[in-house]
Amino acid sequence: MPDMQPLISDFVLKLKRRKVEGSHAVARQTAELLRSVVSQHRMGSTNQAAALADAIHAVGEHLIAANPIELAVGNTVRRVLHIIKEEDISFTAVGIEGLSVTAVSDDECDSGNDDLPTLSAAVLASHARNALRAPSLQTLLDDIPVSTALSHSSSSAGDSDGKTGDKSLKTRKLKHDVIAAIGDLIEEIDTCYDQISEQAVEHIHQNEVILTLGRSRTVKEFLYAAKEKKRSFRVFVAEGAPRYQGHVLAKELVEKGVQTTVITDSAVFAMISRVNMVIVGVHAIMANGGVIAPVGMNMVALAAQRHAVPFVVVAGSHKLCPLYPHNPEVLLNELKSPSDLLDFGEFSNCMNFSTQDGTPLLNVANPTFDYVPPKLVSLFITDTGGHSPSYMYRLISEYYSADDLVVRQKSTS
Amino acid sequence: MELDAAQNPNPEPPISAYYQTRAEHHAVVSSDWLDHAAAAASLPDAHADADAAPPPSPGSNGGGVIEEFNFWRRKPEAAEAVAAIMALAAVIRSSRATTMMELEIELKKASDKLKSWDATSISLSAACDLFMRFVTRTSHLEHEKFDAAKSRLIERGEKFGEISLKARKTIAMLSQDFISDGCTMLVHGYSRVVLEILKLAASNRKLFRVLCTEGRPDRTGLRMSNELAALGIPVKVLIDSAVAYSMDEVDMVFVGADGVVESGGIINMMGTYQIALVAHSMNKPLYVAAESYKFARLYPLDQKDMTPAHRPIDFGVPIPAGVEVETSARDYTPPQYLTLLLTDLGVLTPSVVSDELIQLYL
Repeated sequence: MPDMQPLISDFVLKLKRRKVEGSHAVARQTAELLRSVVSQHRMGSTNQAAALADAIHAVGEHLIAANPIELAVGNTVRRVLHIIKEEDISFTAVGIEGLSVTAVSDDECDSGNDDLPTLSAAVLASHARNALRAPSLQTLLDDIPVSTALSHSSSSAGDSDGKTGDKSLKTRKLKHDVIAAIGDLIEEIDTCYDQISEQAVEHIHQNEVILTLGRSRTVKEFLYAAKEKKRSFRVFVAEGAPRYQGHVLAKELVEKGVQTTVITDSAVFAMISRVNMVIVGVHAIMANGGVIAPVGMNMVALAAQRHAVPFVVVAGSHKLCPLYPHNPEVLLNELKSPSDLLDFGEFSNCMNFSTQDGTPLLNVANPTFDYVPPKLVSLFITDTGGHSPSYMYRLISEYYSADDLVVRQKSTS
Repeated sequence: MELDAAQNPNPEPPISAYYQTRAEHHAVVSSDWLDHAAAAASLPDAHADADAAPPPSPGSNGGGVIEEFNFWRRKPEAAEAVAAIMALAAVIRSSRATTMMELEIELKKASDKLKSWDATSISLSAACDLFMRFVTRTSHLEHEKFDAAKSRLIERGEKFGEISLKARKTIAMLSQDFISDGCTMLVHGYSRVVLEILKLAASNRKLFRVLCTEGRPDRTGLRMSNELAALGIPVKVLIDSAVAYSMDEVDMVFVGADGVVESGGIINMMGTYQIALVAHSMNKPLYVAAESYKFARLYPLDQKDMTPAHRPIDFGVPIPAGVEVETSARDYTPPQYLTLLLTDLGVLTPSVVSDELIQLYL
């Protein structure tokens, strides 16, 4: 795809320079880019799905490497890979059924088919589904070779179909289906706010006090929705140093007529006893139910736990990441410019590199994210409803296929 | 012998068959144990033989199952679950049933017999249940002829050894992300899966240190440390009571499991619960490595709420008559003390276990 290359490298550059940030924007743009990659992809005659997946894989590796912190990139790439697999299987299932119908129609063909004598099309299709699903106890004893046999038979089915003529039609069909499914994904990313905020009234009750930290669009829409349904409630907004996005949120809430109180981050513990519920937005949800959230969130979660206040996380499903935070203190964080924290002019003499052995006495660390362990989270509200942290694995196995989880490792090894 | 006499005032808990397998497989180091076991086991062994011998196929193959099972479980690489499934596959092979229903009934009898022969082994009964479930599911696939279905069942049963080995490999692969350079881990007892994990990590040139508990009374930890030292991994052996003392230098705890129960907790070698409590109170992650066929339909409510597996304990000195000895071989660790389960189904939180079991059996 020579014509795609500039688009891809442009997006990679944007990611690297942190021109696109925030999981929503990133997820959406990744999905759009991958959609155009698919539409530009020239389909071969055999094994189209695998070739397509390889193409996505190659692009995905670049994108993920460009900004590993933006987990939404990897999530979207994996979602697209999963979509391709799903479409391929529903496609081959239809193909095999068609094949078996023709086989039944002329009997010699049926008796001559010695390769898979006992397995009907339906079984093959169900095995294919099993191969797609995460491994489970159910399938533990099932034949593994069958699934490989399927991949052979499916490719051969594709071949024989190709020979019979309507090859170009079929390839176009697969591609079309994949593109349509990616379109659905993009729409899902766009509409997640509405889906989530629909549930607002179930969670926010009359005269409650809500606490939030920083600014998240999901939280904002959630609170708006509750306000629109004539709930009256009060919101404490912790300002979210050092970016002070909380101030922006406070302004927006006041414009909608919500009773709002701005507090400093360090006042969270002092105020938490008056709060009924903490509602926050996050950067990513990890597979164990822990979250990567703006810095300061762990403190809020701990304060909430101390006073048994429910800590509710609202997040769209594009933030659902199938990885585990093996070493959250080290990984998955980003240190931003110290200019957020202090004024260089005032502190310039402390940062004099010429003193001592070239290391300044004053260091400034400005991490972006906190890791909040699953036991501090009470509830996740996603576009598919409310879930407890221990349920996250289930959503993940629904959205991603198990063998795509290591997209990133493949790229490094 | 006087030691034996000292212990035998309460002879009714015989050494469990489950424990014998462990002792054989894990090649318990002490020779004194062997002597002791030989002396102590002669009685229950005769008991077991008496159980197994009398019904040498009065029409059915009931007796054959246990012989078959015993044959397989003596193989060092074969897990108990593999032996069970092999034995059931052998039942199918020698069965003269002509319909699926007959075969199922025959198999059910054999599996019940196997289970009652050794009620203490969790992976044995879990594997029997799993295989029975598989048979039922297969017989519901209407498209197959009986002979085809039968040969398929046998083939799948006999492949189970491979499945089990593959499961171990998968777990080892999944766990590599959890082991970082420079970390120190604590292991308890001898577990084939944990050994596989550490082997793979060592061959991936990861630098790490292992603390091994001694694993009294059968010193399985010493066996573990032997194997690890042979791989060139730095190992330190602790006595079991030094776990809390050394916990501050530990980054993570790895344990295997005899069985994973429905609550997501595990049943494992005595001392695991203790280690889990210490690890939890010091905020260290505890990872359980277990193959998914060890998921069992049990829900122990407390430590005593399971069939106890007894084992002989050598205290070195004679125990005065009238003093009771706690001979239980394993304990139950509740799910809230486990961080993650590393299984061949993926890396799971404890609550997933019940989900998997419900999906399979309901």
